[in-house]
Amino acid sequence: MKTVSMFIPCTVDLFLPEIGEATYHLLERLGVDPIYHDEQTCCGQPAINAGFVKQARDVARHFIEVFGNDEAVVSPSGSCVCTVKHHYPELFCDEPVWFRRAEELAPRIFELSQYIVDVLGVEDCGASYPGRVAYHESCHVLRGLGVSEQPKKLIAKVKGAELVPLKFAETCCGFGGEFAISYPDISEAMVKEKCDHYLASGADVLLLCEPGCLLNIGGYLSRNHPGKKAMHLAQFLAGSGTGSTSSDGHGKEG
Amino acid sequence: MDIKTEQFVDVARKELKNDRNKQFLGVLPYGITISRQRSMQTFADPEAANDYGRAIRAEVIARLSELLEEFEKNAAANGAKIIWAETAAEANAFVLNLARERGVRYVTKGKSMVTEEMGLNDVLQENGIEPFETDLGEFIAQQLHRPPFHIVGPALNIPVEEISDLFIAKADMKEPTTDPVKLGYAARLYLRDKFHHLAMGITGVNMAVAETGSIINVENEGNIRLNKSSPRIQVSIMSLEKVVPTMADAMHMIRLLCRNCTGQKLSAYVSIDSGPKKSDEMDGPEELYIIILDNGRSKIYQDQQTREALRCIRCGACLAACPVYCKIGGYPYGWAYSGPMGQVLSPLLIGLDRTHDLFHACTLCGACKQFCPAGIDHPKMFLYYRMLEAQADTEQKGDFIPDKPAKLFDLWSWGAARAWRWKIAVKTMRPMMNYHAKDGVIRKTVAPLYGWFRTRDLPVMAKKTFHDRWTKIKKSR
Repeated sequence: MKTVSMFIPCTVDLFLPEIGEATYHLLERLGVDPIYHDEQTCCGQPAINAGFVKQARDVARHFIEVFGNDEAVVSPSGSCVCTVKHHYPELFCDEPVWFRRAEELAPRIFELSQYIVDVLGVEDCGASYPGRVAYHESCHVLRGLGVSEQPKKLIAKVKGAELVPLKFAETCCGFGGEFAISYPDISEAMVKEKCDHYLASGADVLLLCEPGCLLNIGGYLSRNHPGKKAMHLAQFLAGSGTGSTSSDGHGKEG
Repeated sequence: MDIKTEQFVDVARKELKNDRNKQFLGVLPYGITISRQRSMQTFADPEAANDYGRAIRAEVIARLSELLEEFEKNAAANGAKIIWAETAAEANAFVLNLARERGVRYVTKGKSMVTEEMGLNDVLQENGIEPFETDLGEFIAQQLHRPPFHIVGPALNIPVEEISDLFIAKADMKEPTTDPVKLGYAARLYLRDKFHHLAMGITGVNMAVAETGSIINVENEGNIRLNKSSPRIQVSIMSLEKVVPTMADAMHMIRLLCRNCTGQKLSAYVSIDSGPKKSDEMDGPEELYIIILDNGRSKIYQDQQTREALRCIRCGACLAACPVYCKIGGYPYGWAYSGPMGQVLSPLLIGLDRTHDLFHACTLCGACKQFCPAGIDHPKMFLYYRMLEAQADTEQKGDFIPDKPAKLFDLWSWGAARAWRWKIAVKTMRPMMNYHAKDGVIRKTVAPLYGWFRTRDLPVMAKKTFHDRWTKIKKSR
């Protein structure tokens, strides 16, 4: 049996653990043995984005120690995968030993939908959903990793689900980590527009592959349009019939 | 031109409330992006065309000093006079002195971002020499005393009624009109007059060709060509990164520039000057001065990372691509350069300490980088500036970041470097985070996160993290 190591990002670990569970169940259903290193924490992205590279290096070294020996690592977050794949080698450009380890890890880490379609060669995950769905192209999934077809292929094979077009699907939702907190006026205008397009699309649920966007879009919907759902693709695919393992994008605490 | 980069947040807030802006920004940048993409498709291989352009800009950066020397030698051989200006003040002083020596009372100008950077208009005006902007948009912005809203379309956002009032007040127009053709004609009548008996015309430079010593201007109104062909003295000002190696390179960059700028395969006018009027020629300026402006760029060049900023060709594709620019427009950026290219350039030209918001007000979405025909990785630049700021790098004036975030990240990285510490931290944080939680949702919280909760909720910090849940999953396997 093929094993794969799961990296569950800190946002998922702390605020959206049901996405982690969905990732596990989905991989297991696809005949993979998902393992989880209990020593894992965070990839260090917040420190890199804030400019604190020394601190980011400490966290990155820990990440490389934890995941360095895995054949394949999969994560339900495009931006965390980008961090490991693209930013780790840059972080260690002056430290040859760590640079080599970062370079070795980079090609072995995958975003979840990318892993399922490109590595496992699976498109039909055995899920069903009676309704219309829209897909938000998260920046780091689309432009960071070039992943766009994979999630759409997976959605296309969900029984009963109809993928409807989303206007400006490729435009940023306004999350950007510290950006959403430091520049709330601009961030709000961006997430409002994203949600307006989702409402106009007529979809019953908005799917995405990035927990950051989910916190932002889901948080805005929860406050302003409580009936409308945003959901991580992992939850959508892991569910059967309702398309979810929890009642809404935010889930209930376990 | 006053530098107002420190007012970014306030101006952005004001601009976000401007309904007309909202309507306008909701449509125009997308229109530009679509016509840009359509015109790029006229290349047999658009991606290869982009790659070629990026390679040319990379070569320029790699061979900058050598190319500038070659350009100087060849331009001088053509009869042009080359002036090296280390600072904006030096360049302004040269123009002013030249105008005084030659008894010039007014000058006309072609649209030029570098003269905005220098604040040339203010210097001339203060010294009694009237500068007339002759680009329609720049003329409007100048008369309204507004900074450019967009590096290519400086007055894109001004309502037509306001322009009509302005032209009646300042450009001899007789009757109000909203007809763009009539407005254009009024400006033309007013400005054409300035070109008669013109002593000095000032322009920017889109490209300076090292191989031939020629300078190239790209435009749609013909005013730059008039600025260069009608006066006795032509002064063309370039920032030093405008040089390209060969005429073939320049031709390719023009193809990319026009497509990315306005979605045109070629602009209405492209003029190439190689020296002033020769003895056997009928027209052209008697004297041609080319000012090569440094203004801090040599210092920018010293650093392998910051020198990447010098790739920029000022096409403006990144503005239309930027989701932040598309919400707030050009004014919040507070200086000559706006949008992602301004966020890359301004911090290096005026210091990180005065431009904090420029390199932080970005979601790192990467849309600018994706479009950039010059190969700039804008998000990477911003991360680099943030790093210099965090390290209090004095070279780029990144010396003001408070201690608090640094200590916070020290603590955070210490906690994230071992899972047992992480788990203790989570346990400690949870009650604080969930203090206001209700029905699994946090609707308000403590001060530092206030910005998030004005219009957004957050799920509660889970009682059982995935770490905790894994223990249960593991047992059931």
